[in-house]
Amino acid sequence: MLIYIVKRIGLAVLIILLAVLALFVMLHSIPGDPVSIALGPRATPEIQAAYAAKMNLDKPLFTQFLIFLGNVLTGDLGTDVFSNRSVAKTLLGQLPYTISLAVASLGWAVALGIPMGCISATKPNGWLDRITGLVSIGTIAVPSFLVSIWAILVFAIHLNIFPVIGAGDQGDLADMALHLVLPSFAVGLGWVGYLARMVRASMLEVMGENYIRSARAFGLTTQTIIYRYALRVAILPTITLIGVGFGGLLSGTVFAEIIFARPGIGKVIYDMVLNRNFPVVQGAVMMTVALYAVVTLASDIIVSILDPRVRESL
Amino acid sequence: MTQTISRRHFMQAAAFAGTAGLSGVFPGMSFAQDGRKLTVRFNRDFDSLDPGFYVGGHPNNDVNWCCMPSLVHYGFRDGQATWIPSPFVESVVARDSTHIDFRLKQGLMWSNGFGELTTDDVAFSYERMTTSEWKSDYVAFDRVDIMDRYSGTIVLNQPFAPFMNTTLASGTGIILSRKATESVGGKFTTEAPATCGPYVYAWTQGQHVKLTRNPEWTGDAPYFDSIDALIVTEDDSAALAFEAGELDCTQISSEALARYKEKPPADSALTVAGALQYMWLGMNTEHPKLKDLRVRRAIQSAVDQASIIQGAYAGTAEASYGVVSPGLVGKRDSAGYSHDPGMARSLIEEAGASGLELTLRTLNNQERILAATIIQANLAEIGINVTVMPLDAGPFWEMGQESKGDTWKDLEIWIMRFGSGPDPYEPFQWFIRDQVGIWNWERWSSDEFEELFKMGIEEVDSNERAKIYTRMQEIMEETGAYVWLTHEPEVFIHRSDISAKFAPSGEMQLPYFSRT
Repeated sequence: MLIYIVKRIGLAVLIILLAVLALFVMLHSIPGDPVSIALGPRATPEIQAAYAAKMNLDKPLFTQFLIFLGNVLTGDLGTDVFSNRSVAKTLLGQLPYTISLAVASLGWAVALGIPMGCISATKPNGWLDRITGLVSIGTIAVPSFLVSIWAILVFAIHLNIFPVIGAGDQGDLADMALHLVLPSFAVGLGWVGYLARMVRASMLEVMGENYIRSARAFGLTTQTIIYRYALRVAILPTITLIGVGFGGLLSGTVFAEIIFARPGIGKVIYDMVLNRNFPVVQGAVMMTVALYAVVTLASDIIVSILDPRVRESL
Repeated sequence: MTQTISRRHFMQAAAFAGTAGLSGVFPGMSFAQDGRKLTVRFNRDFDSLDPGFYVGGHPNNDVNWCCMPSLVHYGFRDGQATWIPSPFVESVVARDSTHIDFRLKQGLMWSNGFGELTTDDVAFSYERMTTSEWKSDYVAFDRVDIMDRYSGTIVLNQPFAPFMNTTLASGTGIILSRKATESVGGKFTTEAPATCGPYVYAWTQGQHVKLTRNPEWTGDAPYFDSIDALIVTEDDSAALAFEAGELDCTQISSEALARYKEKPPADSALTVAGALQYMWLGMNTEHPKLKDLRVRRAIQSAVDQASIIQGAYAGTAEASYGVVSPGLVGKRDSAGYSHDPGMARSLIEEAGASGLELTLRTLNNQERILAATIIQANLAEIGINVTVMPLDAGPFWEMGQESKGDTWKDLEIWIMRFGSGPDPYEPFQWFIRDQVGIWNWERWSSDEFEELFKMGIEEVDSNERAKIYTRMQEIMEETGAYVWLTHEPEVFIHRSDISAKFAPSGEMQLPYFSRT
C-alpha cells in the first residue's frame, strides 16, 4: 500500500510539472504583445517598460520559466503586477468559494444521482428506469450556462426567491448558503445524469455476479443486497469519477462564477487571462493543477482501500 | 420607467447628465439620516488607489472620488463636460493661463491620525506625479507655491488648456497625505495609508467594495449612508441582477440598451454618462491600393453610416463626424462628405480602380463584425471587393505599429475605436506627425495640423479652441483616410428615483448620488 501511495505521489508531481510547463508555453504563444494588450493604447513607453520589467517580460523566456519555478519551489507564486498583492494570498482568498461551490454542486448531484442509478438498475427497462434514463440524458444534454440563465429568470427574477449575484455576506452562513443555491444547481445538474448513468451501468454489472445471486438465495431483501453489497462494489468507478469531477470543478466552475458574479479560482483565471496578468494565471493554474492532483490521488487511494486489486495496476 | 426616451432625447441626455453638480456640493448635506443604502456594480475589481502607479479608470477612480481629496471634480456647464470645484475646496480659480489659485476647506482630516489636509499635501501629491507612471499628465506642471496652510497656487511651465479637465479632474489629480504616503515607502496599492473623504472603504477581493460614511468627515455629507459596489464582470449578469432588484445602478451593454429602450424594466431610468469613444474606418494613405485620394474619397462616400448605427448598434450609438466626442468643445455636427454611392462610383471609375480588392481588419466582436459586414456590402456596390479579417486584441492592436513587425506595410483598411478624456486635446495627440507608425496608422502628416495642435494646447478661450479643433478634424477628413462612424455611449440603468451623477469618462461619482 505504501509503495502504491509513493508511486502515486511521484506521478502527481510529474503531472504538475508538465502542466506548468505546458501552461507557460501556451500563455507565451498567444499572439500579441502582452504589454500593449494589458495597458491599452494610452500607455506611455515608460509605463510599458515598467510593466514589462515587473512581469519579467524583458527577460528571455527560459529565464522567465526558471524564475517562476524557483519561486514556486519556495512557496512564492509571485506578485500581481497590477495590485502588487501576493498571488498566493489572492488565490487562497478565492479558494474557499470555489471549493464550497464544487462541494455543494457535487453534493446534491451525488445525493440525487446515486439513488437514481440504483433505482434504475433495480428494474432495468422498467418504466422507472426509462423515466430516470430520460431525466439523466436530459440533464447531461442541457448546457450549464443555459441552466444558469433559466434558473436566474425563473427563481430570481420571476419568483424572486434566490439571489442572483455574489457569494453573500461573509460570516452570514444562511446568506452564503442562499447564494449557493442557483450556482450549485446550475453546476450540479449535469452531474446528476452522469452519476445516475454510471451507477446504473456498474450496478447492472455487479448485480449479475455470483455473490449477488448467492445473497438472493440466502433470502436477503433486494434493498439489503443493493445498498449493503452491490453498491459497495459498483460505487468504485463512481468514486473515481467524483474525484476527477471535483478536481475539474476547481477551475471548471468558471461559467457559474462569471454568470453569478461569484468569487472563485475559475473566474480569477478567466479575468487574468483577459488582462494578460501572467503571474496570477500561472499561480492559479499551478494551484488548481496541484489540487486536482491531490484530489484524484485521494480518490485513487480510497478506491485502492476498497478494492486492493487496483494497487497492482500502477 | 419614468418616461419614454426617444432616440433624440436619449442622445441629448449626455449633455444633461449631472447638471446639478455644478457647485461641487454633495446632495445629502442638510438631511443625512440612517438607512440609506445604494447597491451599484463595478465591472471589474479595483487594483490600486495610488494615482501615480495605478491602471486608472473605473473602478479605481470611483473609489478614489469617495475616499480621497481632489481640487476639482467633473461636471457639466452649458451642456459641455468640464471641471467644477470639489467639496474639498473653498475655491479654485484659474488666474491666468499658467496660474491656478486654490483654497482648501479647513478641518478636513486624514484617517489613521495623519492630521489635516493641507496645501503641503497638494504640493507633495502633484510633485510626486511628475516622476510617476502617469507623469505624462503632468508635463505642463511646474510647482505649487504654498501661500499658507490652506491656500496655494499651481504654476504651469507653459499654458496648457486641458490641465484642469485631463489632469486635475481626472483620477491622476487625486491628493495624498504626504506623511501617510511616506510612511509606507512612497507607494501603495489597494490599502491606502490614509483617506480623507465622505466615505471609507472596505474591499473584499473579487467580490465587493463597501463604502460607509467616514465618521471623521466634516465636509458636506453625501446622501447615502452606505454603498455596496458589487464586482460583476459580465454585462448580461449585471442586467439580470438589476432586473432582479439586486442592483440599483449598473452600466449596460449596447445590446441591453437596445432591449431596454424597447421594453424597460419597471421603475428604471437610463442615463448617458458620456460618449467619449470615437470609431472610424481608417485607410492607409501610403498603401499602393489607397494612394489615390479619389479612391479614399470614394470609400468615404460609399459607406452608409446610418445603416451601421442601426444594423450594428440597434440605433444606440451616436453618429460621429470626427474625433471630438459629444459634450466637448469642437464637436462637429456634420461631416464634409455624405453617403453618395453615385459619386463614389464616379470617383472609382475616374481613378480606374474598379474591381479593387481590399482587406478590412477589425477586432473580433459582434458589433465590429456587423459594422464590417455592412461596409463590405457598401463597398461592393461601388465595385470594391472587401475581405473581412477579424482579429483578436493581440494582433489587432499592433498591426499598425512599426515597432511590432511589418504588418503595417500590408495594412489597407480597418475599423478602429479609441477612447478619449473629457478634453478635445486628447484625441488629436494620436494623429500628429510623431505618431505615424505608432498610433497614426493612416500615415499622413500636415504642417497646418501640427501648428494647430500646439495652438490648441495653449488656447484657453473655448470659442477659439472650438475653431482650432474643428479645423483639425477637417484636415483629417480631407486626407480621405477617415470615414467617421460612431460615438458609443457609456449608458447606465438605475432606479428611476435615484439621481445619478457620472464623469464623462464613464465613472460613477458616487458621493453625488441621491434618491429623489
